[in-house]
Amino acid sequence: MTVTSGTHPRHRLDDLLQNPVRFSVVAALDRAGTLGFREVRDAVEVTDSALSKQVSSLEAAGYVTVGKAFVGKTPRTSLTLSRAGRAAWRSHLAALREIADPSA
Amino acid sequence: MTEIQPAEARALLAQADRIARRAHDGVRWPYVAFIVALGAATSLGTFAMGLSEGRAFAAAYVGTIAVVLALVLWFTAAIRGRSAFARGRRWTGYIAAWTVTYGASIAVVAWVHGSVLWSAVTSGAVLVVTLACAARESRS
Repeated sequence: MTVTSGTHPRHRLDDLLQNPVRFSVVAALDRAGTLGFREVRDAVEVTDSALSKQVSSLEAAGYVTVGKAFVGKTPRTSLTLSRAGRAAWRSHLAALREIADPSA
Repeated sequence: MTEIQPAEARALLAQADRIARRAHDGVRWPYVAFIVALGAATSLGTFAMGLSEGRAFAAAYVGTIAVVLALVLWFTAAIRGRSAFARGRRWTGYIAAWTVTYGASIAVVAWVHGSVLWSAVTSGAVLVVTLACAARESRS
């Protein structure tokens, strides 16, 4: 039996986005584009430290850009889905759709 | 590599849609409400200013400024704690689009005062542009 490597849609799934928290973070940013750290934390329902760790991974991969601003003396962190992150997300979703409905 | 079954893939797609919708809907409504109200107030205000003189002009001028100030105060309070989007590229684009059309309608007030046609075109453009921005944001 011959196995053709790379034809199954699972090969197009993004390794970074298979982590549930990172998946949810990018999902939250997909429509909104830019959100505050607390807004993402509330949407994803994780602790600050867990979110911070996963955001660092996404930032290192170039999927998310992290902005820092001050409102008065309070620091505000914003997360923005980058162009590369959006492309990776679209590709990941397309692969999931193919797996979900192989006949399509 | 993790094997994902079709049922799991469907669940992940549903989860992604649910999270995206919740994150967007929970944050966005003050922005949509503000851009619609800003467009309506400045459109009507510049139209009134373009076609009126004397005390009527002063009333339109002061009234527009008062309404815009009230809107900005309300908006600032409404987005407290969720202001990240206000620093984003998309919102900057919406405000830039409003600024350009508002600038054009103010130019008409200053230099083509009394022209029904130009006032209608530029003030109408303010309304159309802001409504288009609000519609785009609502549907994104």
